[in-house]
Amino acid sequence: MNEEILLDALYAAIAAIGFAAISRPPRRVYLYCAAIAASGHSLRFILMNDASAGMHIFTATLIASLFMGAVGTLLSPLAKTPAEACIFPSLLPMIPGMYAYKAFGGLALCVLSEDQSDFGYCFYQFAHNGMICIAVLLAMVTGATLPTFILKKISFQATR
Amino acid sequence: MKNMISGERQAPESREVCRFLSEYCGRLLGHGATCLRMEKNVKRIADAYGKQAEITISPRHVHISILNQDKSEFVTAISSSSPCATSFDMITRLSRLSWEIADDHIDLQSAWRKFRDISAEDRQNKWLVCILVSFANMAFCRLFGGDAVAMCVVWCATFAGYCMKQYMLKQHVDIRLVVMVCAFVSSVLGATDYLFSLGATPALAVGTSILYLVPGVPFLNSFSDILGRYYICSFSRFMDAVVLTVCLSVGLCAGMVVMKVGMF
Repeated sequence: MNEEILLDALYAAIAAIGFAAISRPPRRVYLYCAAIAASGHSLRFILMNDASAGMHIFTATLIASLFMGAVGTLLSPLAKTPAEACIFPSLLPMIPGMYAYKAFGGLALCVLSEDQSDFGYCFYQFAHNGMICIAVLLAMVTGATLPTFILKKISFQATR
Repeated sequence: MKNMISGERQAPESREVCRFLSEYCGRLLGHGATCLRMEKNVKRIADAYGKQAEITISPRHVHISILNQDKSEFVTAISSSSPCATSFDMITRLSRLSWEIADDHIDLQSAWRKFRDISAEDRQNKWLVCILVSFANMAFCRLFGGDAVAMCVVWCATFAGYCMKQYMLKQHVDIRLVVMVCAFVSSVLGATDYLFSLGATPALAVGTSILYLVPGVPFLNSFSDILGRYYICSFSRFMDAVVLTVCLSVGLCAGMVVMKVGMF
């Protein structure tokens, strides 16, 4: 389990650095993004996979995002960047991309389906994956943004 | 004293402040700043020049109204959002500029000069980004449980797709078409794991090969704007992100149909 957690943290850090590059953060922020993503993603991994916790992806994402938002906001004055420049790239590895693509894939297959049972299955895939995708996105942003609203003085004066 | 700020220097004309702020805010909007940050930065700068600012952020435009402290002069400007990529580096520099104006009392001419310097800079190495994104998507594949073969296939599919994306964007091709074509190319390459029976997780290779195209930051910005109660801008950003996700799915489905790969 410990090795899996470490590997999850490592791959989340690599994903955060790479996806952060698309949104062009300042160079010094890459390390902060990697650290926040590694800790947040592995926290979600533990919350979802630990036998005693065993949380749903929505709850685990909300808690992990709150943690990432708080850490990102507190680190933003050190990085001298707006809090969202630290937090948003770190959140990217948690974007429910597989759910989004399965939802739209299900929608496309609904249109192409020829009998009722096929349509029912594809519609289930569309609705189920779409709802999880939106719920996880909402949990991510609510969790990550709340600390920036609560700690407004820190998050909006970080570039001062 | 009515046209003085900080008791020392002449306050600039409202018209000039308004022109600067509309350009400044248009650039922030183009680079993907949240509405709350735009409003805070604009009000900070206006306050530093002894003005009151009211700002309306619509999906593609920013309306800025500047009012004198004695309410004798009222100017409104509308500017379009700059057509540029999301850049947290630019948002950071523009936010820092707003603090420099507020704290160091920079005059408007110097502010314009610094703003133009910031806007002119593009320090990104495109090849480095391409390689980093490929490694990121490869790591993403592993996070979903992909094996080593699937990871290698995803790396190649992402590298090819992202190079194509950069080339097409340089040719000013519409972003929706770019996403569709890149999703198609990446999914076709991702399906080689299926085609040649290379590894044990070919479905994950196809599924994750296109995830670098998911518009993550627009989705995050749109939900962040909901929390700040900027509903119109939030809805617009959300719809932009949904349209790109639909384009991505269309490209992916086309790739899967061509390669005869099932989704579920």
